Amino acid sequence: MKRPVYITQMGVLERRGNTLFLENENGKKAIPINSTSEIHCFKPVSLTSGAMKLLSEKNVPAHFYNKYGYYRGSYMPIEGQISGTVVIKQAKHYLDPEKRLYIAEQFLEGIKASMVALLKSQRADYKSIAEIEVEGTTPVELMGIESQLWREFYGIYATLLKHFEFNERNRRPPRDEVNALISLGNSVLYTVTLSEIRKTYLHPAVSFLHEPLERRYSLALDIADIFKPITVFRVILRLVNRRQIREEHFERDVGVMLNREGLKTFLSELNGELGKKILHPRLKRKTSVRYLIRLEGYSLVRHFLGDREYRSLRAWW
Amino acid sequence: MYVIVVYDVDVKRVAKVHRFLRTHLHWRQNSVFEGEVSRAQLYEIKRTLEGLIDGEDSVLIYELPNDSFNLHVIGVDKSPVGDVI
Repeated sequence: MKRPVYITQMGVLERRGNTLFLENENGKKAIPINSTSEIHCFKPVSLTSGAMKLLSEKNVPAHFYNKYGYYRGSYMPIEGQISGTVVIKQAKHYLDPEKRLYIAEQFLEGIKASMVALLKSQRADYKSIAEIEVEGTTPVELMGIESQLWREFYGIYATLLKHFEFNERNRRPPRDEVNALISLGNSVLYTVTLSEIRKTYLHPAVSFLHEPLERRYSLALDIADIFKPITVFRVILRLVNRRQIREEHFERDVGVMLNREGLKTFLSELNGELGKKILHPRLKRKTSVRYLIRLEGYSLVRHFLGDREYRSLRAWW
Repeated sequence: MYVIVVYDVDVKRVAKVHRFLRTHLHWRQNSVFEGEVSRAQLYEIKRTLEGLIDGEDSVLIYELPNDSFNLHVIGVDKSPVGDVI
């Protein structure tokens, strides 16, 4: 399996004899390009044209984040998986209100199941979430239920955190430690989901729960939401309660952000969680969480083509 | 699968082998590389190395089922391997 690379230091990505190097005052570090799935840059990183050429050749995207961990954009190689048929069918399902509602409801059910799975594993009370009915007649109504789910979830989640205060979700910029962690984790999950969607025939901008707007890949938002509770929130809970992430790992200006050491701890734990393998009951083999994200994409493609009705992931671990 | 590649080749070809291996694996220390590869990648590595080496050269590839082995470092860890840099 190819692995992602997370860069937490400033530098220049250069091509030297078919290898990608990260160069800065600390020296040179070779990145094994043939074994890299994508590159995430959290500090200012420049790409030389040679590096871009190599990334394109090897089909490795590079994603960039700002200092608060918000996704700023990507350098993406030309789209590899293109199928007009699938995109047209996908758009058809968006245009038909009934069909769109079905998929949006599936996404919501998936989010709810993941929240319940996480709370169950923490032996927390999940009844109030399980009781929320996922039903609506318009996508707007469903978005309302989604925010209700998250509000409820944040409330219970705050009681599980032993060391930091978490009263409300705020962003742009995040104003406390937990919000900083959530924002960063969500951005990484979003880009990872985007990378996985691009390996399928789906168009990343045609979404069902979120309204497809300009300038962002909202299908990635739709699918990433299902995985948030069981990846991002699970990792934050573990790192905070085990005191692996502490007050000294944060910096503060207008908002709150992780320093380099905190970033390294958080990213390697999140990366580990995405790479964690679980036994898939239907495939009868161990698959990584990351691959489950792509499987959601594949099931959507089959749904659009009329092969098999889409049923979103119900996290079982 | 996870592999560790150790090589002992003539000084004329050391750089060639090094340059090729670092496009697939992480450099560990002189003449040692390691990293996660797919079956196809391993096949490519083997084939390319066969073409690169000559004479008394020797390359060893240790194939491990996964990366959950214990590593004991004595002295300096020249280049720790990780996904976060």
